[in-house]
Order: sequence, then structure tokens, then C-alpha cells
Amino acid sequence: MTRVRRKRMHCNNKELHRKYKTKRRTKDLDQVQHDLLPENKSRLLNQPEDEDLPGLGQHYCVECARYYTDDRMLTEHRRGREHKRRIRDLKAPAYTQKEAEAAAGLTTDNGRALSSSVVGPQSLLSLKRKNDIEAVAKAAEKAAASSEITAMVTE
Amino acid sequence: MRLEKCYFCSSTCYPGHGTVFVRNDGKNFRFCRSKCHKNFKMKRNPRKVRWTKAFRKAAGKEMAIDSTFEFEKRRNIPVRYDRDLMSTTIKAMKRVQEIKARRERAFYKQRMAGNKEREKSLNIREIQKGIHLISTPLAANKEVQKSAETSKHMETD
Repeated sequence: MTRVRRKRMHCNNKELHRKYKTKRRTKDLDQVQHDLLPENKSRLLNQPEDEDLPGLGQHYCVECARYYTDDRMLTEHRRGREHKRRIRDLKAPAYTQKEAEAAAGLTTDNGRALSSSVVGPQSLLSLKRKNDIEAVAKAAEKAAASSEITAMVTE
Repeated sequence: MRLEKCYFCSSTCYPGHGTVFVRNDGKNFRFCRSKCHKNFKMKRNPRKVRWTKAFRKAAGKEMAIDSTFEFEKRRNIPVRYDRDLMSTTIKAMKRVQEIKARRERAFYKQRMAGNKEREKSLNIREIQKGIHLISTPLAANKEVQKSAETSKHMETD
């Protein structure tokens, strides 16, 4: 037998290509975190019998989103490295589009900050609006003062 | 024109560029290029991939807290078009960009400060540790003796 190549096989690996297809995409961490909520978890653990699933869908690992054929396989999986790594990954909050935008320095401003007297850095628009409001208030004050003065003079 | 941010690397996606992946629960994932899409398909966490903005910001490689970030915002309130406001906004954008660039440069300088000395000291330590590889003390002694002898010969000559 000749030597079998072990390195640089990724371009030639059919299983890897299949695994990365979006068609076969498995559950993401944020979906699993949603599944782990108590109401969803109980539903997933008590599924009705399904002939198409391994073990009739009775032995499900919620964290790894996998079906096992029997309880022995499930407990064996729970002891494994893969499952433990998954649990560790699930502890952190899932990455979101919002986080991606925050990293690029883009946040949302729906104008709510203005009502709750902004503390710290402000946006240009809200600052401008606040300045406008202040200017109007000052003008009103001035007008009131001038009217008082005229009233005193007339007296 | 709506400019979106890439889910993976947080760069800007211009219209007509990149791909959107719609997951079977209806959630959208926008990618600026195939590199980001491939990495997403491999289920990599952008927080742990060193070239993404999320990593660089979290690891303190880039300026994260600054007042210049307070200007660029997604505002979901419609504003009536006002020519003066538009012109002042554009002027302000340029100015903010200038200030931001200057602060980023300062940040980079601060981050890299002291690197040269550290490297130098490390190099010196490495040489001190491995000096025996370059010259053994015996050889050094011999060389000293040789030079002494030659100098004696020179004197006698």
C-alpha cells in the first residue's frame, strides 16, 4: 500500500464540504439558548414519538441539538469533551448583529434619550434640539422680563 | 441608500455587495464578502476571530470608548429636509472624521509606546542566555592567550 496524504486535504474532503453547506446547517448557539429556556426545554425533552428521528426522538441533547438512539448513548455523550465544550460556549451571551454594529461604532438613537435629560455624551441632533429648546425658553424669559419692566415704567 | 454592517467583521456592506443568509427562523445575516460567509458557515465566533472588529474592540486593540462614536447613529425618526441642517451636518461629519482620525492615531501611539525598549531588552536577555552557543568560555580563554602571545612576539621582534 502506498502512503495516504494527511495534510492539505481540506479542498478534497467531501464530508467537510457537506458539513459547511447552509442546507445542512445545525442550530446556532443563540437558537440553543432559546431552547434552553425552561418552557422550551420541557417541550423538547418530552417530544412525541417520531419515526423519522433517531431513537424515535426520545433521547435528545438540548445543548448540542442532537438526537441519540438510546439513553446509554446520551449519557455517554454527556460525559464527552464535545458536550462539555458546548456547555462552556453556551454560558456567554450569543453574538448578535447588534454587537457587530456596536463594534463598528454604530448604535441606534430613537430620540428617547432626549426626554430623560441626557447625561454624558450627546448626539449632534439631540444637542441641537436641546439648544433650540433652551434658546426658546431664554427668549420667553427675556420677553417676560421686558414686559415687567414696561409695566413698572407705566405705573 | 441603506448601508448595513457585516454580521461577521462589522465592515460596511454597500448595496449590491455581499450576501444575505436567511436562517430558517427568519433571521437575517448579512456578510460583506465570501470570506465572512465561509467563516460563519464554519460556526466561528466573531468574538474569537482576531481579524474582526468585535475582537479588536473587545481586546483593546482599537479605541472603543470615545465621544466621536456618539455621532454616527441609526436614527429611526424621520427628519424634515432642511438645507441648513444638511450643510451643517456634512460639515460636522468631516470635522468629526478629522478628530476621530487624530484620536485613533494617538491611541495607536499610546498602545505601541514602550514596545521598542521591551523588544530590545528581550533581545539582550536572549543573547545573554544563549551566549554560550556562540562562544564557549574555553575558546574565549584560548583567544585571549593567543592574542597575548602574538603581542609578546611582536614585542620581541
